[in-house]
Amino acid sequence: MSSTLEIRGLCKSFGGIVVADSIDLDLSPGRVLGLIGPNGAGKTSLFNLVCGVVKPDAGSIRLDGQSLEGLPTYQRARMGLARTWQNLRLFPSLSVMDNLMLGPRVYSADRLVDVLFRPAQIRANEAEARDRARDILERTGLSPIAQSRVQDISFGQQKLVGVARALMNDARCLLLDEPMAGVEGQTYALIQKAVRDIAASGVAICVVEHNVAFIRDLCDEGVFMFAGKVLARGSVEQLIADPHLTELYFGT
Amino acid sequence: MDFVYSILIFIGLFVILASSFDLVIGHCGLISIAHPIFYAIGAYVSAMLSKQSGMPVPLSILCGGVGALLASALVSVPALRVSGDYLLIASIGFQLGLIELAKHFHEIGGAGGLTNIPSFLIKDFGRESYVVLVLALAGVTVLFIRWLTQGPYGRMMTAMRDDELAFSMLGRNAIWIKVAVFAIGSGIAGIAGGLYAHYFRFIEPDQFGLLQSSAVLTMVVVGGMRTTMGPVIGAIVLQLMPQVITFFNLPPSILGPLQGLLFTGLVLFFMFVRPQGLLPAADLWVGRKPLEGAGHSGKEARS
Repeated sequence: MSSTLEIRGLCKSFGGIVVADSIDLDLSPGRVLGLIGPNGAGKTSLFNLVCGVVKPDAGSIRLDGQSLEGLPTYQRARMGLARTWQNLRLFPSLSVMDNLMLGPRVYSADRLVDVLFRPAQIRANEAEARDRARDILERTGLSPIAQSRVQDISFGQQKLVGVARALMNDARCLLLDEPMAGVEGQTYALIQKAVRDIAASGVAICVVEHNVAFIRDLCDEGVFMFAGKVLARGSVEQLIADPHLTELYFGT
Repeated sequence: MDFVYSILIFIGLFVILASSFDLVIGHCGLISIAHPIFYAIGAYVSAMLSKQSGMPVPLSILCGGVGALLASALVSVPALRVSGDYLLIASIGFQLGLIELAKHFHEIGGAGGLTNIPSFLIKDFGRESYVVLVLALAGVTVLFIRWLTQGPYGRMMTAMRDDELAFSMLGRNAIWIKVAVFAIGSGIAGIAGGLYAHYFRFIEPDQFGLLQSSAVLTMVVVGGMRTTMGPVIGAIVLQLMPQVITFFNLPPSILGPLQGLLFTGLVLFFMFVRPQGLLPAADLWVGRKPLEGAGHSGKEARS
């Protein structure tokens, strides 16, 4: 099975701090990979490298066989890469619905020429995006708060909006940065279900998460990172049971 | 009556300038105060084209707008590729540099200014017709900017202002939007410049300096950023206020500084007491077509 995302020899350091040390990693379609490791292991930095937020010193990243080298973030997104953020990064001046409306790979108003001279096409694109957003809001249980401002909804719901917004991309590869931090109860179950459904549709997913139960329930496989290195890869049970890794994680 | 016409023309022109400047600095969040230089480019291009090559005035005004639009890219493309913050420096440099350059170019009148610019409409239909034209175009500008900012493009600008990184991660090209909006705002200012040149028939480089920049900025800040009517009210208030003072029959030596004090005082007052301006913008963006079906809590109207 060919990988959706293929990372080879990825290196990055900021001054003396190494955040990525020759990382090789593959994400396969329909599989959920959990990134485990203590704070500062380079998990979020790896996401930033994949998304083009940070430029790597060396190495290659391929999405569906196409190199991402030198491409700006927005082009990577248009190729089918989506992510959520540890600190949410929703748009506070927009409603939940409008947050989602900006998510499709091709946005109705990306080209100003179309806005000015092709109003019919814009209307059609908007209607299509709105239907898609409604569908996703329905599936994630967010429909009742579609018109709310994002700061007026609960933290868990905000996390869910982040996932829902990323879903608008119809992505090939989805990176989730701590989707469960601070989430409890019903929303927890909703996010879990959402991630399962996305994986079932053939999307390659990578999750950074400290919630071990969530990782164990959801991930097909885990990767343990420490000081910018991939130290081990295997089933989540295996990684958790490894006394050496546990020691690194808790620093005992 | 000519005095009243002049005031009305100025109000119309500054409504166009303030609204288009609000599009750039308010809606798109691009920090630049060099808006008047695009007003100047429009004025000079239109004046020169009609004067030297006998181009019909409406066409030359349009060319002035296109000239300003293209010139804006000279500033925005290099500056915005680096970072939004550089736009302020680059645009001020562009404004002051170009004004100095114009002063030394005798072909366009030099420091003494450009005179005998062909007039338009006035000879055939009287000054009233030009007043109507300017006020109508001011109305069209306000409606166009409202249409743009309340549509899908406005949604994009709002999101980009909120969080540019998250915005890029959704597949949206922030640099292109900034360059495009800066160009539209500058092009509109250029058309206002042409309208100015063919009414007053005299332009000089010093008119378009930092004093003009601060006037337009004050109008937007006092009126209320990111609102449709804010820049309109700001332009009207700040155009009328200096006229009111002239009625007190003060000696010119006091009048000039008094106007300056008034503007500065007004900006300071608003910064401390009402930073959102006379008309505050709604904190939730609502598009022009309310979503049918679920109408829950997003009922805040947009001013």
